[in-house]
Amino acid sequence: MASIRFDNVTKRFVDEKNGGMFTAVHGASFEIKDQEFVVFVGPSGCGKTTSLRMIAGLERQTDGDILIDGRVVNTVHPKDRDIAMVFQDYALYPHMSISDNLSFGLKNMGRPASEIKEKVDYAANVLGLSHLLDRKPKEMSGGQRQRVAVGRAIVRNPKVFLFDEPLSNLDAKLRVQMRIELAQLHKRLGATIVYVTHDQVEAMTLGQRIVVMNQGHIQQIASPRELYRNPANMFVAGFIGSPPMNFFDAVLEGNKLRVGDMLLEIPADRVADYQGYNGKDIILGLRPEDIHDIDFAYNIPTHNQARVQVEVVEHLGAENLVYFRVGERMITAKVAGESSITTGDTPTFVFNMDKMHLFDKTTEQRI
Amino acid sequence: MAEIRTADTQMSTAALQKRESKRTVWRVISYVILSFWVLVTIIPMYWMVVTSFRDIGFSATFTPEWFPSSFSIATYIRFFTKTDAVQWLINSLFVSGVITLSNVLFASLAGYAFAKLRFPGRNMIFWVLLATMMIPAQATLIPIYIMVVNVFNLADTYIAVMLPFLVTVGNIFLMKQYMSTLPSTLIDAARIDGCSEFKIFRKVIMPISKPGVAVLAIFTFVSTWNEFFWPFLVTNSSGMRTIQVGLATFKFAETVDYGGLMAGSVIAALPMIVLFFSLQRYFLQGITIGAVKG
Repeated sequence: MASIRFDNVTKRFVDEKNGGMFTAVHGASFEIKDQEFVVFVGPSGCGKTTSLRMIAGLERQTDGDILIDGRVVNTVHPKDRDIAMVFQDYALYPHMSISDNLSFGLKNMGRPASEIKEKVDYAANVLGLSHLLDRKPKEMSGGQRQRVAVGRAIVRNPKVFLFDEPLSNLDAKLRVQMRIELAQLHKRLGATIVYVTHDQVEAMTLGQRIVVMNQGHIQQIASPRELYRNPANMFVAGFIGSPPMNFFDAVLEGNKLRVGDMLLEIPADRVADYQGYNGKDIILGLRPEDIHDIDFAYNIPTHNQARVQVEVVEHLGAENLVYFRVGERMITAKVAGESSITTGDTPTFVFNMDKMHLFDKTTEQRI
Repeated sequence: MAEIRTADTQMSTAALQKRESKRTVWRVISYVILSFWVLVTIIPMYWMVVTSFRDIGFSATFTPEWFPSSFSIATYIRFFTKTDAVQWLINSLFVSGVITLSNVLFASLAGYAFAKLRFPGRNMIFWVLLATMMIPAQATLIPIYIMVVNVFNLADTYIAVMLPFLVTVGNIFLMKQYMSTLPSTLIDAARIDGCSEFKIFRKVIMPISKPGVAVLAIFTFVSTWNEFFWPFLVTNSSGMRTIQVGLATFKFAETVDYGGLMAGSVIAALPMIVLFFSLQRYFLQGITIGAVKG
């Protein structure tokens, strides 16, 4: 297996629509450790797939160096990088049987027939494809095709596995199942895996570390827990977590935050950290799960509370999502499924300020 | 509530019936038009086949006979024994076959490059090529004739008959359009699987381009097989003629050998009919390219 390093990598494309150049990745630098499962996540056009394709050698970076296992691979052909890639649309060769799809890469590498058969049988066995080897891709379901695409990567026993949104074409139930299978596969193969997705749930559940990208810039690289607890900026805070974090326009007044008509108290041990912002406009971030129906506010300080007018309630079974306005902003609270709040009510909510995040209004960076 | 639902149902049933009867009328009209078109297409072929089995000899005037009163294969015997028909057929088969193969190869290669490879000036070169299609064939005929016959001295050779048609811009355009519909990730996957660029073309692109290739092959073969004017210009000897040029020799100054001409036409039409039916499956796939979302 292998490590991967980006040294100040930039990728620019010719912008065919508007003319000129378009920068897809701006000076990215990071290191992925051997056997690590790293997820690139971000909205469409953030540069995550371009980064993956640069690791694969399908795109060549404009500036900077890419190293696999300490070797600079800037000009190395994809086939010589010892990587395998699983594509979003599976990219199975439609005219070949599953067996031929699995063995195609090994045949091109000139491996002996006995070795090819052994590896194909192993991969088919691991992925439950043994009885489907003579079929063509069009005769298989989406989930089976996805497994073949993974199998094609496994048979090559590469240093690095690259996954480009491999679950996005599956239905929700199958996606959960395949997610678990991929996590198990990583454990079994002990492989270095780079995985691209726009789905933050996939990113949080699969990645040991997550690279959050936006508009070609890396926003933060951290473990799922760290991203959730200590987002580096408003983008990461808003992107990670479902429903997304609520943002309030606030003014710091000593040890309190003025949010519209509300006055919320900052935890005493954190007041000193923010004194440079006293009297200034800042952004308060609070996740929906940190805004509680007062009737269900257990084991949290309840002195930061406010009465609000509920606009919409969504019942999800185990929990309810309650929507109300603070100033111009629509705020979401995630409350217990047993909560009796309904649309039009004016309940009291408790704001758990121990979990608050403060951001600079201009730079949008965490304070 | 129940009453309203009933009224709704009645209304929708009436609307459905009206829509159904409208559909039936349109179906009848379209069948009538299509039947008429089938007749227009089939009658000349029927007439050709029927006449080919009548030995009416040489005549300047000729009345069609819809239901044959006699049956004879004398015209076919005359066609094959009194002329170089076998040689003309071989010539046509050879010329059409080579041109078709050449177009399949070169148009596919060029189409692949224009559709899937990134290189400087790709779009400009493609548009310049397309622009050449606007020049009428008649305008380039004489320069090409001078080049082939006077400059290269190729008159009365297979090369002269084939040269201008070895690859056409129309076919490049056709293949480019077809190959644009193929997923680029297949090419990426093949690259990672260790294929060279040519191997990607040979092992991945060509096998999945069969519908596009079939359309190209049929169009090219049929148009080359039916080509009259260019082979007529550059061939002199009877042994170098293609079947279409050969058939023209059945028309004399004052008379026409209608029986022989029709027998020859039946023979000339056969390879195209065989070709179409053998590639029909791919052809029908090919002409609906892009019609439905894959």
